[in-house]
Amino acid sequence: MADQANFERDALQYNRQLYSAAMRMTRNSADAEDLVQETYLKAYRAYHTFTEGTNLKAWLYRILTNTYINKYRKDSRRPNEVDLGTVEDLYLYRRIGSEESADAARTTEDRVLDGLVESDIKEAVEELPETFRMPVLLADLEGFSYKEIAEILDIPIGTVMSRLHRGRKAMQKRLWEFAKERGLLPQEA
Amino acid sequence: MSTDCDDPKGTTCDEALENLYLYLDTELDSLTSDRIRSHLDNCNGCVHSFEFERRLKTVVKERLDEDVPDAFVARLREALAEEAATDAK
Ligand SMILES: [Zn+2]
Repeated sequence: MADQANFERDALQYNRQLYSAAMRMTRNSADAEDLVQETYLKAYRAYHTFTEGTNLKAWLYRILTNTYINKYRKDSRRPNEVDLGTVEDLYLYRRIGSEESADAARTTEDRVLDGLVESDIKEAVEELPETFRMPVLLADLEGFSYKEIAEILDIPIGTVMSRLHRGRKAMQKRLWEFAKERGLLPQEA
Repeated sequence: MSTDCDDPKGTTCDEALENLYLYLDTELDSLTSDRIRSHLDNCNGCVHSFEFERRLKTVVKERLDEDVPDAFVARLREALAEEAATDAK
């Protein structure tokens, strides 16, 4: 059983990560701040139920995610599937490599990875339907294990894996479009 | 990709690619992880694709990270202090 007196010391250190995730969930800073604040207040009130020595970061994320789903979610009308008709695995990598010699492909890879700006990555993630966005954020932004993600989202680990897989593919498809728009690819591509 | 492949332990490129994300996400058991690592030591094609995905993963993480406004952290501390004060009453 955790002591409320230690809450600030133990939990506040995660504010940057929680805020980054909240920004990608709500898509604006005002809602992200409200969401993080509400998460911390809820966590503070429930801190006596937290088992000390277990995963505090994951526990906070679980509260963040549930609070978001219950209160801030505005896009329940948005599609909950991603259209991956012809999107193969390693989409971005294969697209870059498909029309060039190996050496030229390396150069293009570097240009794409350097040239995709923050707003491209953020948009590509934000455009993902929630079902896919959450696992991608938890894995790629936070580095949670599949097991932790399963616990945070309360879904089976196999579902985590398939959603992560599809979410990352959809993201790569969008990043390919951004790379094209930004002129990061050779003319013919 | 199999043209570059010369894995003495017989792991195929397909097998390696199937495990790519599990490998990068450090979700494989150590035995499988070792097999993939050894395949990568012997396969130029796979090592390039793994390296690209690893770099992309890093790029995504770095560019999604947000700076928290200082004023917000201050408000957060205040809100928690207020909550604690309410409890104390
Ligand atoms: Zn190979």
